[in-house]
Amino acid sequence: MKRSAKLAAALALLALPAAMAFAPVGPAAGADTAAAPAPAQAGQIVAMRRLTEAQYRNSIADIFGPDIRVSGRFEPIVRPVHEMIASGARRASISPTGLENFDAMARVIAAQVFDAQHRALFAPCAPADAKTADDRCAAQVLAPLGRYLFRRPLTLDEQAFYVRMAGAAAGKAGSFDKGLELALSAMLVSPNFLYVIERAEPDPANPGQLRLDNGTRATRLAMMLWNSAPNEALLKAAAEGRLTDQKQLEAAAAAMVSSPRFEQGLRAFFADMLLFEKFDELAKDPVVYPYFNQDVAQALPEQTLRTITDHLLTRNGDYRQLFTTSHTFMTRALGPVYQVPVHRAKGWEPYEFGPRDDRAGLIGQAGFLSLYSHSGRSSPTLRGRAIREVLMCQPVPNPPGNVNFTAVQDVHNKAMPTARIRLTAHNTDPVCAGCHKITDPVGLSLERFDGIGAWRASENDAPIDAGGMMDGVKFEGGAGLGKALSESPDTPICVASRALEYAVGKPPEDEALVERLVGDFAGSGYAIRALFLKVATMPETWRVTAPVLDNATHVSFAAPATMAGRTGR
Amino acid sequence: MTDTLRRRFRRLAALLPLGGALFAIGPATDAQQSAIRLPDPPANGVMGFVISEAIPPVVQEPTACPQGTVLKMRDQFLADQPAEERARLSKPENEAELVRKWQATAFGPNGTNICSQPDLFSRPAMRTVQSRMAWGLDLDKPGADDTCEHAEFTSPHGESGIDNQEYRVMGCTLEWRGTDGIKGDQAVGLRQFFASGEWTQVLLLRGVDSLQHDEDVEVIYANTPDRPVIDTTGRFLPGASFTISDKPPRERNVLHGRIDNGVLTTTPADIKLAQTWGQGGARDIRGNRTRYDYRHGRLRLQFQSDGTLTGMLGGYKPVFDVIQSPGIGGVGSALVAGIDCAQYLQTLRQYADGVRDPKTGKCTAISSAVQLAAVPAFVNDIPAASAPAGGRASR
Repeated sequence: MKRSAKLAAALALLALPAAMAFAPVGPAAGADTAAAPAPAQAGQIVAMRRLTEAQYRNSIADIFGPDIRVSGRFEPIVRPVHEMIASGARRASISPTGLENFDAMARVIAAQVFDAQHRALFAPCAPADAKTADDRCAAQVLAPLGRYLFRRPLTLDEQAFYVRMAGAAAGKAGSFDKGLELALSAMLVSPNFLYVIERAEPDPANPGQLRLDNGTRATRLAMMLWNSAPNEALLKAAAEGRLTDQKQLEAAAAAMVSSPRFEQGLRAFFADMLLFEKFDELAKDPVVYPYFNQDVAQALPEQTLRTITDHLLTRNGDYRQLFTTSHTFMTRALGPVYQVPVHRAKGWEPYEFGPRDDRAGLIGQAGFLSLYSHSGRSSPTLRGRAIREVLMCQPVPNPPGNVNFTAVQDVHNKAMPTARIRLTAHNTDPVCAGCHKITDPVGLSLERFDGIGAWRASENDAPIDAGGMMDGVKFEGGAGLGKALSESPDTPICVASRALEYAVGKPPEDEALVERLVGDFAGSGYAIRALFLKVATMPETWRVTAPVLDNATHVSFAAPATMAGRTGR
Repeated sequence: MTDTLRRRFRRLAALLPLGGALFAIGPATDAQQSAIRLPDPPANGVMGFVISEAIPPVVQEPTACPQGTVLKMRDQFLADQPAEERARLSKPENEAELVRKWQATAFGPNGTNICSQPDLFSRPAMRTVQSRMAWGLDLDKPGADDTCEHAEFTSPHGESGIDNQEYRVMGCTLEWRGTDGIKGDQAVGLRQFFASGEWTQVLLLRGVDSLQHDEDVEVIYANTPDRPVIDTTGRFLPGASFTISDKPPRERNVLHGRIDNGVLTTTPADIKLAQTWGQGGARDIRGNRTRYDYRHGRLRLQFQSDGTLTGMLGGYKPVFDVIQSPGIGGVGSALVAGIDCAQYLQTLRQYADGVRDPKTGKCTAISSAVQLAAVPAFVNDIPAASAPAGGRASR
């Protein structure tokens, strides 16, 4: 009881009062009740989505505390072409090496959880003999932890399995706590933890169809809006069946998007939408770009995320103005790149660009500008393509394999001093021109920013023409492009469809649904909280298109002899 | 910082590689000065710089040290021997004996050594600069009554009355002069110290109305704990931000000056700046702290069209300060680098020309010059002395 109370209290602390409003029952009592093992897992598995690295880390921090160290290499989730990592997570497997890494991380985590510093938080009961198994005490420890890790109560079989594992290990190791460590390690490499297993149940409102069950809804809400495991309030709401009630679902989601923890979720969404994994590979030629260093590289994604969350959450700003806002944040590392003063020696401080800086929102930041450049030169083509694909969700075909890039790569050719001239020469080939006319008129407007996003007026002593054009609209420079993006109907459509994809784990196929979502988004003044609230609460988000199966498919934790008989289909 | 201001500095930054070489050391001649086209100062009259180079200037010309560089202890020991003995000891088979004997001269009684206790040793005079040419400032021109008699230099640009007796004493040492066209360890080492950020110096100018002529400019010459931003070759990059610190061991000097024909000159005042020494190794002296200490110190800095500053810091250094580094290094300075600290100190005292002790009548400090270069930076003053928000970070 004490242990449950402490665990629940620890998780409850993570939930804000607002989030707790829909779960007025005290967390201790609720947790204790909810931790009771379920007879079996009901429902039909309709999707399995592998936890991202951030979701794994956030879950560990939320469940065990931020001082529990997570160290190891995470096997990346492959991003499907033109889709989000959230969609890739539905198809992500774990290689043997990846599982070894997860296992190593699990053992380190488990050892910390049951070390002298933390044990009392998670294991309040004392075994009859510290050197031997104690099934009763082990169950008291493992059942609540399993509930948080698997994001649902353990089944009877599962609880028995892990208690048995703890007991066997305790006997061999001569230590009750070592047994707990092994059992917890096993939980941490279980598919039930490493994957969000989405289950569906018959939809009473639509006979013959399925809807996601309460437990799945709790996890999806938590992962979508907070990028972490569901907290006590959500688990309790799920256990009480409240998340299939539209009004209570809306109350829960509203509380979550109003919480400061929504920032963590929003950061994860935009890191996915804006392809932030590319920052891991960002490298620049130090001779060409002496201002670019490791500190700059690390600050770039953070600057973009701070700008996004400040504009969309702190200022409750219009999403479209993310492409025009002059507000951002600076560090000492970034100051030299932008050639601006930074007062604070450490940390971040707000900064506002002037109207003549030509830096418009996200596309005027060194993060975007350097990410979509080559290591030694800018690239109007890469920038234009990124704007089309990432910000407007307009896929651009890949270049053919036999393209001659000589003209665009020769940046020191005095006869072709600017990128515009070089690209014009390159595009005399009609095979190339077809795609370049989609990307280059957009990207050329950002040519006053070099390959790391530093300002320049000329290239090879030739003045830079920053005129641009997009979808028939002509403009000048980054500010002009930002305005064009903010006025384009495609940018809010793109973020709305990405939000839906992020929630569901696959790109939306229902255009009418996206249109309705965008309409609501517009009605809210393009407020990001309203968009995510809508995505989280629209019934279509929770409907399942998978066919209803005759028998539930599940894997039992029972002994191998009985497994074959209990595995469906 | 206004948009206009930032843009102006961006232009300057773009021009930066063009600068430096033109007036690398001394003040420009009138003809050169007239060729410098200076931009308007910032609207708020506040400018910041980070010192990118602070090196004792050496005039590389053949008449400076006609006998060659100052002998290292081993060579001095051999030179002091009769010819026959010198020849014997120079033979390879007697190398061990030679090493033992010359190294013995570095030690005194009771565990003392020639660099930790240089006063205890009496050494022969060292070679000094023989030519009349040196970089530096005229430190003693109006009303200096606490100086000692000395011969003055003329600068390579023809400016007479240059006071730089430190160069006279140290200018023929291998550490200063270098060899075979390679600059001395002094230049290389000091560049590394500044690039490492261990003793970064900044300049904050206030009240600048014109880069050509201004009768009253406040100059804050100070240390900062912030590291400079450098490229892969160690070149300082403009546009970084720094915050001044006056917390020990760091220093903040408030000077006053004027600008004439694009040259900023400060009135004499004592200037103190931090130094941190150490090169690592088994006898690690890293972290030992001393100070630049310039009595009656002054700056003469020339604004360049590329936004940089070049010029000179001059003043009188307490004589022992000149051998601070080998002194801290202790016997290792003598045994490894062959530096005869006692010889240096005795010669420095001989040529000391400033800060005369009224009791003894002897000068205790020696005129000195440091060649300075600085690149534009955003410099934040210490909070207590800061201007209103928005005006603190300037360059």
